[in-house]
Formats: sequence, structure tokens, C-alpha cells
Amino acid sequence: MNPNILSLFQLCDSNLPTGGFSHSYGLETYIQEGQVHDQATFAKWLRVYLNEQLIYSDGLASHLVYEALENNDFQKIWKLDRMLTVQSLPRETREGTQRMGERMLSLVEALYDVPVLAEYRKRIKEKKSFGHSSIVFTIIGHHLGVPKSTTTLYYLYSAISSLIQNAVRAIPLGQTAGQKTIQEFQQELVRATEKIQDLDEADFGITSPGLELAQMKHERVNIRIFMS
Amino acid sequence: MENWTGTLRLDVEERQGKTVAKNVYFQGALKVMRPVYHDDSGQACYYILNPGGGYLDGDRYNLQFSLKEKTKLTLTTQSATKVYKTPNQHAYQETEFILKKGSYLEYIPDPLIMYRNARYKQKNVIRMEQGATLIYSDIITPGWSPDGEQFSYDQLQLMNEVYMDDELVMYDHIKLNPAEQDMKAIGFMEGYTHLGSMIVIGEQTNADLLDRLYNSMSHDENEYRMGLSMLPVKGFTIRVLANKTQTIERLFTECHQIISEAWFNTKPSFLRKY
Repeated sequence: MNPNILSLFQLCDSNLPTGGFSHSYGLETYIQEGQVHDQATFAKWLRVYLNEQLIYSDGLASHLVYEALENNDFQKIWKLDRMLTVQSLPRETREGTQRMGERMLSLVEALYDVPVLAEYRKRIKEKKSFGHSSIVFTIIGHHLGVPKSTTTLYYLYSAISSLIQNAVRAIPLGQTAGQKTIQEFQQELVRATEKIQDLDEADFGITSPGLELAQMKHERVNIRIFMS
Repeated sequence: MENWTGTLRLDVEERQGKTVAKNVYFQGALKVMRPVYHDDSGQACYYILNPGGGYLDGDRYNLQFSLKEKTKLTLTTQSATKVYKTPNQHAYQETEFILKKGSYLEYIPDPLIMYRNARYKQKNVIRMEQGATLIYSDIITPGWSPDGEQFSYDQLQLMNEVYMDDELVMYDHIKLNPAEQDMKAIGFMEGYTHLGSMIVIGEQTNADLLDRLYNSMSHDENEYRMGLSMLPVKGFTIRVLANKTQTIERLFTECHQIISEAWFNTKPSFLRKY
């Protein structure tokens, strides 16, 4: 048994202070409009968010960054950092993920000594790179020797479970409904990770019109508890 | 694979305040008409034609436009782009735009109409220098089928890449698979039928312009749903979900007018097609 699994699991904890609790990725627009109002309507949105946006951005990036690390192809990592940032057309989502990426980087730098992290930090400081949690998380997964697909699966789990926690507060849902949604999505996450294994760079950044439009509209939502 | 169904190349330069062709070349199922000058600004307008009347199984089109310093160019199509059924191989179009410093491009094609069982892939690559200006728009309709069924095409994939001084600054990737996805559902087309996209990049972009554009709209969600957002460079994108081509055209024309007035103190020309 690989004891490092627990070390990566530490980064999936929703208490990890990266600021995930302040982003809804457009969910808040749907809540305000009444389109998402209970566990069933939330799960429907979450399924589309996972399968039509997250796997082609953060999920595929994790997969490709892991491959690049195996090949010592650092230019590829910096390229993916830029692609992850510029494929996000809604400003709040783009700036939010960037801030979370930077915070996660600072945090893991205190826990691990990995040269590529220091290089990433330097590039961000020089404004050559932007910062993204999916890349930081994958660097640690690779460093700990956790297999590629497991690293992607854990990353997706952390992103989705954090969104479920946010939905519990915002819709609001009961704690039990939240846990039921987490349970219901475990199989979805495995399927999403399997699908990512068959994707390549040509699939990068695919998004779905409604999801993206709701993320853009969030900028103009009047009363808000989330920054995106 | 260089066997294109149609190729088109147009390079423009500025001569005594007027934008003129330096090089025009076309072959196969693509051509451009002689330029039209709508006013005395020197801005040239070219209409792109597909003499075949539509894109067929396995068709491949390649277009290249190059704008030298200080040129002003409008590009549009003469009519909607139709993609017919593609039983063997998807139809494909790639277009490259090169915008030198101080040049100005308006690319306003007519809507895309996908027929039953059609598959189409389109890639636009825009390479700009700092100080160039871009106004781009496109409209995707729910397509056409003999029995009036909407979204009867199989797959549509649109990619837009914008580079500023060789750095990727925007990457837009829409892929719709009506055969597998519920287009009416949350996150997809959400009950609307038409999707419009507008990309505007120009150094004069600021938050105030976005507020003005947003506030000039009625936001009647029975008619359309709209989002707009700033890019990481000086520019922004607009997405519109609506039920008619005309609704999106009206909104984009209004936006175009506000931008032209704010940036150049001019009014955009009406693009007469018939």
C-alpha cells in the first residue's frame, strides 16, 4: 500500500485553505434565477459542469501535466498553464482559479520541496505563468508517486466535493443531501476519469454554451455570496 | 493533406488612405468579389462566396487574410454557410488572420446552418500585433431538416485562437453533439435555439464600455440571454442564446455601433446582401 495516497488526500480536504469556498463557477446565477433549487436540480447542473467543462479543462490538464512530468517536458506544463487560463472566457472564473492556484502553490511549497514548484512560483512572479490548482495538485501527485489516473480522480473529487459544500450553504441543502450527492458522484467521477484517459490535446478547453454564459452573467448578479 | 476543396488568400495594404488588395488568390470552391467602399473612410469590404452553394461530405477549405499596417477591412459572406450531410468525413474549414499593428478587421460572416447528419469543424487562428483591432462575430442556428426538426445535425466544433504578439491570449472551443446531448437542458442551449458569439479586441477597451454595452440591452430573457466578460488582454467576449438569427444580429449591430462611436467616432456600414 502506498502511504503517499494519504498525503495527496490531504490536498483534497475541503478545509484546505485555497479559497474554494468562495467560488461557484456560475452555479450562483442558476440559484438566483431559481433554476437550481434542490438536490435534484443541483445534481443535474453538477453533472453537466463535470462532464461538459471540468473534464476538458482541469481534468484533461491534470492528465497532460502528469504526462509532461514523466517526460521532463516542462515547456508543456507552462503551455498548459496558459491554455487553462485563456480558455476561461468568464473573467471571474479565470481570476478565481488563478488566485486559488497561487494559494495552493504557496501552501504546498511549505509542505514539499519540489524544484518544479519553485520554477512555477518564479514564472508566476515574472508574469510568464498564471497559476492553477490542477497543475499544482498534479505536480504533488506525481512527486508522491501516486499513479496518473488516481491523481486526476482525486483532483476531480476535491473540485466537486468543494462545490457540493458550497451548494449546501447556498441553495441551501441539508448536510445529508450534500453527503448523498457526494456519494452519488463517486461513480460519475470514476467515469469522468476514464473518459479523460481517451482524450488528447485536441479536446482541450471544450465548453458548453449555457454553463459559460451563466459564469459570465454572474458578474452582473446583484446579491452574491460567491466571487464567481 | 493539402488537397483543399477551396482556397482563398487576400493580403491588403494601405495606399493613400485607402485599403487595397496587394494580393488576391482563390481556387476551387471559394472566391471573393471586388471590394466595396461603403464610405470615404478608405475601409474596404470584401464578400466571400462559396460558388458550390454549401459544404459537402469531406470538403476542406483554407482561407488566409493578411492586414498590413493601418489597413481597415470588413469581411463578410454573401449568404449563410450551409453544411450538408457528411456520411463519410466531416467538412472542415480553417482560416488564418494576420493583423499588423494599427490594422482594423471586422469579420462578420452570415449564420451557420447545419443540415441533418452534418458534421463540421472550423478553426480560426487570429494573429495580432499590439495595437491592432478586431471585431469578430458568428451565429450558429439550430440547423435544417426536411421535417423541421431542430438540432438534427450530428456534430459541430468551433475553435477560435487569438495570439497577441505570438502569445495565446484567448482560446474558445465549442463542441455540440446534438446526437448525444440534450440541447434543451441546463448548461447547454437551455431552451434557446441560436448561439451568437462576439470577440472584440482593442486597446481602448475598458470596464466602462462593457457597462455601457450591457446597460443598452433590454435583457428580456423571453427573447435572449446574454453574457459578456473581459479577456485577460484589452478586449472582451459576448455570448448570446436566442431564438432567432435576427435577434442576435440586432444585438451585435447595436454593440458594433456603440464600439465604433466610442473608439472611432464613426458608424458601421450596413452590409447589403441582396
